[in-house]
Amino acid sequence: MSTVTTTPRAPRTGAMTARYALMSTRLAFRNVRFLVLTVALPLLLFLLYANLYQGQDAGDGLSVVAYLMVSMASFGCIGAAINTGARIAIERQVGWNRQLRLTALPAHSYLVAKAVVSMLVTLPALLLVFLAGATIGGVQLSAAQWLETGVAVWLGLIPFAVLGLVIGFAGTVDTVQPISMITYLGLSILGGLWFPVDQFPTFLQDVAKVTPSYWLGELGRTVLAGQGVPMTAVAVLAAWTVVLGLVGIWSYRRSGAKV
Amino acid sequence: MSTTTPQAPDGAAVRLTGLHKHFGDVHAVRGVDLLIAPGEVVAFLGPNGAGKSTTIDMLLGLTRPDAGTVRIFGSDPVAAVQAGRVGAMLQAGALLPDVTVRELVTMFAGLHRNPMPPARAMEMAGVTDIAGRKTQKLSGGQAQRVRFALALVPDPDLLVLDEPTAAMDVEVRRAFWASMREFTAGGRTVLFATHYLQEADQFADRVVVLARGVLVADGTGAQIKSTVAGRTISAVVAGAGADRLGDLPGVLGIERQGARTLLHCNDSDVALRALLASCPQAHDIEIAAGNLEDAFLELVATSRQEAAR
Repeated sequence: MSTVTTTPRAPRTGAMTARYALMSTRLAFRNVRFLVLTVALPLLLFLLYANLYQGQDAGDGLSVVAYLMVSMASFGCIGAAINTGARIAIERQVGWNRQLRLTALPAHSYLVAKAVVSMLVTLPALLLVFLAGATIGGVQLSAAQWLETGVAVWLGLIPFAVLGLVIGFAGTVDTVQPISMITYLGLSILGGLWFPVDQFPTFLQDVAKVTPSYWLGELGRTVLAGQGVPMTAVAVLAAWTVVLGLVGIWSYRRSGAKV
Repeated sequence: MSTTTPQAPDGAAVRLTGLHKHFGDVHAVRGVDLLIAPGEVVAFLGPNGAGKSTTIDMLLGLTRPDAGTVRIFGSDPVAAVQAGRVGAMLQAGALLPDVTVRELVTMFAGLHRNPMPPARAMEMAGVTDIAGRKTQKLSGGQAQRVRFALALVPDPDLLVLDEPTAAMDVEVRRAFWASMREFTAGGRTVLFATHYLQEADQFADRVVVLARGVLVADGTGAQIKSTVAGRTISAVVAGAGADRLGDLPGVLGIERQGARTLLHCNDSDVALRALLASCPQAHDIEIAAGNLEDAFLELVATSRQEAAR
């Protein structure tokens, strides 16, 4: 009996990829330190700032609290996306990914599944910060606006999920923690998620406007303000996704060759 | 499961042809040819650093050979792995942390097309009693058995084991080979790497010896033992007879160490009788078991001389 020819290939691979992504997501949620870092920190910062700036106006029809809500949700989500991908380095180092290569899961499915995991684990940070914004922060939006903003920020995280994979394949167990930490905090601060970019010195403002994190914040704020989808933000984030994707494929091949 | 092993186009379970692999300046595998028929249990014997793991990695499609080809049941190794025809126990790979044994085996089964039920794989590998334990809390021997369960999960026709009993104590080792026997009874093919000659001899139908990246011997355990694990007789032999000791039956070669003469033997019993008969004055006789490592190196040297001829 041939098991290869009787099995329809594509649908089973898809189901396998989905199953692997779900199992990996469940494991990611078991990591307490990770949840604290990516959910608790942005949530606390948001609550702190929301209290300070309650009722102030940020311009462009946005309250400071709404502005901060998008920033802190983005901040938390970036951390979740980058740190999840970076954990691949641990699986690589212990040899677990060699074991995975002895399954029917194709290499590209592994990458897709890992990216899906990164996207899924951003959801708690996104949802909880938005929830805090709607309740304690007093941000008032229509259901459609909430949904649009949430989806915009979430989809804007794709380049960060890919960045996490790049770090996971380029780094080692020892280097991956500092690299992902620096990238996560660096991008968040430089992209204006902690302080608005217009408070930066001029030269830094130019640097900020190259980062994907700046455009993620810009995307979320613009959609929240009901001004539609900013095409520049979409273009920059898409460009980052393509570039990081290429780097990712390269570092993936390189890490495979090293095994 | 007693799946009948489908006949490969070329009839071989494993066919390695002219495999070479370099790591920088190190020529780890230098032209390995190996043919394994379905149903054979083959030991891959060699000292550390002989190129066993590298050859196994190429066999499994984890490493690409610099030259040569690998066919498993007539197909590419990656295709054979994806079709679930190959199960493998890798050396020294840690298990995924923060999961229980049951979760891990179940997860792994979910990544195969026609897996064995996880409970059955765990039972065959003898890890049912530790199914609820987290992987990072396992002892070395327990982790090895979990790895064995993972190798069984695809319900493979070919099982490849890289130093499966490292980190196992004697008792566990015995239990491991017992479950192996059960598994191979259905006519499956097994290739296992080891550096224990005894293990190779006891559990394999055929022993293939690898040293310094070349196959230096291929035969039954008994054949390999006689060539590889010979004994050495050491004695003080004075007089004229000493020069002809190399011609004694059972003696492969002689070596002088001061007053002593070392006789490297493939049959030390025969050699000793002959020695005492021809040189009754020989004294201070010692017999030592051969050092496997030295014997391997000797095999390499012999095979090189033969090649040079």
